[in-house]
Amino acid sequence: MSGLSFLSPLFLIGAIAAAVPILLHLFHRKTEVVIDFPAVSLLKRAPVQQHRRRRLRELLLLALRVAALLLLAVSFARPYFAGAAAPDSLPLTVIAVDTSMSMSAPGQMDRARAAATRAAAAAPASHALALIGFGDAAAVVVEPTTDRSAITSAIAQLSANASGTRFRTALARSSEIIGTREGHVVIVSDLQQSGWESNDDGGLPDGVSVEVIGVPPPAGNLAVTSAERRDRRVVASIQNYGNVEVRAPVRLIAAGKEIARAEVTMAPRGAGDVELTGSLPAGGDVEVRVDDAIGYQADNARKVLLDSTPALAIAVVVADPTGSTGGLYVERALKVAGNGREFDVDVRDGRQIVKWTEAERSRMAAMFVLGTRTLDRNGRQVIRNYLNGGGQVLLAMGPDVDPGTLGDVLGTQLAFDETPVRSAGATMIASDGRHPIFRPFLNPSGALGDVQVEQHRRLKDQAGRIVLARFSGGDAALTEQAVGQGRLIVFTSDLDNEWSRFPLNPAFVPFAVETTRYLTKSRRPQQGTAAVDLRESNPAATTVAEFTNAIERTTRAGLLQAKNAARDLEDRQRWWQIGLVIMLVALAGEALVGRRAT
Amino acid sequence: MAGAARFLDPAIVARLGTIDLKARTIVEGFLTGLHRSPYKGFSVEFAEYRQYLPGDDLATLDWKVYARSDRHFVKKYEEETNLTCHLLIDVSGSMGYASGEVTKLQYASYLTGALAYLMHRQRDSFGLIAFDDSISALLPASARSGHLRAILLALERLEIGARTNVAKPLNDLAAAVRKRGMVVLISDLLDDPANVLDGLKHFRYRGTDVIVFHVLDPFELKFPYEHAARFRDMETAEEVMAVPDSIRQDYIEKMQNLIACYRRELGLVGIDYCQLDTSQPLELGLMAYLMTRRRVL
Repeated sequence: MSGLSFLSPLFLIGAIAAAVPILLHLFHRKTEVVIDFPAVSLLKRAPVQQHRRRRLRELLLLALRVAALLLLAVSFARPYFAGAAAPDSLPLTVIAVDTSMSMSAPGQMDRARAAATRAAAAAPASHALALIGFGDAAAVVVEPTTDRSAITSAIAQLSANASGTRFRTALARSSEIIGTREGHVVIVSDLQQSGWESNDDGGLPDGVSVEVIGVPPPAGNLAVTSAERRDRRVVASIQNYGNVEVRAPVRLIAAGKEIARAEVTMAPRGAGDVELTGSLPAGGDVEVRVDDAIGYQADNARKVLLDSTPALAIAVVVADPTGSTGGLYVERALKVAGNGREFDVDVRDGRQIVKWTEAERSRMAAMFVLGTRTLDRNGRQVIRNYLNGGGQVLLAMGPDVDPGTLGDVLGTQLAFDETPVRSAGATMIASDGRHPIFRPFLNPSGALGDVQVEQHRRLKDQAGRIVLARFSGGDAALTEQAVGQGRLIVFTSDLDNEWSRFPLNPAFVPFAVETTRYLTKSRRPQQGTAAVDLRESNPAATTVAEFTNAIERTTRAGLLQAKNAARDLEDRQRWWQIGLVIMLVALAGEALVGRRAT
Repeated sequence: MAGAARFLDPAIVARLGTIDLKARTIVEGFLTGLHRSPYKGFSVEFAEYRQYLPGDDLATLDWKVYARSDRHFVKKYEEETNLTCHLLIDVSGSMGYASGEVTKLQYASYLTGALAYLMHRQRDSFGLIAFDDSISALLPASARSGHLRAILLALERLEIGARTNVAKPLNDLAAAVRKRGMVVLISDLLDDPANVLDGLKHFRYRGTDVIVFHVLDPFELKFPYEHAARFRDMETAEEVMAVPDSIRQDYIEKMQNLIACYRRELGLVGIDYCQLDTSQPLELGLMAYLMTRRRVL
């Protein structure tokens, strides 16, 4: 399949003109004059050769004329090659399969996989196919391809996970893949009502058809909605999402052994608490599990941590030898988290960080760098080694950051304008509201928009850097990139209330806490199945019609951008000029052959 | 073309009524013209006096003139011959071709009629044979009154036949003709030249004088077609696709070679050859005939 596309495909209609010389040729042949002549015997020898030669010339002339007209039409249609990724130019069928926790009921994923396989088989032969698995996020399992076996085998590998459901996320991802071409979306899901509750954005462009295949939810579901330790007991709440009364055993399991068991009876769509008493281990965790044969499996268990979680060590590097205000706002914000027990914040001037012992460095879950002007060579090396060795660093590029030594501090060049940009009143906008840092701002979504900065530094585009948020002027506000084995998040303004009033904004505390949680994610104890979204346990579903009506239709905002990209590509390739040159050569050849033939 | 203007255009002759009228018009006009022409001595009706020369037959001396003028003049009487002439006309399919108003067959029939009329006036005996690949009409030679009408009627009823085969009727006729005479062949000779020559040589070996009128159409001579066309043979229906511009020169050379071949080979055996095209006056044919007859007699 060729990647040939056209900027003005309507001109291809002109290729119909190529039929004119063909019709003339056929017409001419039909009306060939027959002359009765007495001395044909004298014509015999020469004309046979002439006739053959003439037929060849006629065919050559015809080919040249047709080629000239086709080339003219194709040249006016402005052809360009869209690249080797041929499926990009084909109409696309996107199969989006729900892999959220609510698909984990027995047999549910089997039915979903079967439906997706049927949808793939029924897709038009002219379509490329793409496969998306979605829950909280939508992941492209198979990029657009014409290889249907790859789609089929990928469908067979799909399985439910513990994530929630966000239909708009799946729709938005489908829309992104389809872009400006003809598209069709097949959604295979249990159509869970809670999938529409998230306040995120996403829809399908006008003209993209959608087919919704519903996978029936289970008749009921039992879920452990909470569990906590009370002295020697563990108290768990069990929710019955079914329409019939259920009596089910609840077990307490430690290290794979049942240490307590109780029966719980729950009214239809009701809940019940159960106390489990047994000899709890000194540390580690225990699991509360309810037996549920027909419902979702991932919400049948919940872990209870028996140890108190240690606070995570957070270092804040400032350029404030007096220790008066540097890092104050960050410190105060992080102290709030977890009732003051989640983070252990250590604020130090740059000259003091060399005093960190090796043990302290290894305990450090994340580092905030708010100033570098007081760092000496050893101090810069400490930060550089920490970051490149797998550390998590947030850099605020405020006035206390020395642009000249920043590359030495980080071990990588950031590529930015050293002179700060004055941006009075610029607000911050998240590029992707689904990013964990910005989850607190989804509802109300305007909270982050109240943040205003007066100055910031302008980062230049750099490969491998993801822009998480931008200022209203378009410059990057918050970026994320890998450095060595570590991760670097850059805030291009200040967090010490010098270049911005952000630290005084209500959004600052959740921003600082979530950013720190995001950076320290790998150091946090895993709660296992306890991370299940409770809304996901409710199997209440919409109908196919309700689901289809809930899909927002959007205009193809990317159309103009795609057209401009295509125009740039066509401008660079300039195949139309080559086409016209070949057309002129064909016409010259036609004139030459035509003159000899007449 | 002052000379040509004295003669009748074959296209004009074609518009005349019956072939009888056509023949008479051609011959009378031709003979009238001869009085002013350099061919005066060939007239059959013109009688003259000339001074007696030693050796002249005394019986031809006009005694009345001698009595009036005391001079000796010889009186030339109107000619009387016993010439038997066979008119052979080709009616094969190719004779039906015409680029203008007159087909080759029409032209040949006018010429044949004119010759018959002329022979009738000379009180020669004459007959008609029409042929294609066989003899399709045969009127034996005769000098009877009324024979001219039969000949002209037969000419008027001629129809286009099949393929040309000149040799066969010539051989048949050669076997039948026992009396010294004259054969006039009017044909387009689009046959194998060797066959035609073989047939005609039979007559010459028997002492029969032969005159061949090779009738062609101007388009056959010049091949002036402009556009590519499919040329279909009028006798065999064989078709040949040709671009005239590309083959004209080759064709004309072949045609001229054919004419030259006939002229040369027939001349070698003493056969008169006259090539006519259907745009030329018929009188040219009569003139050629009279020249041949003069030699015969």
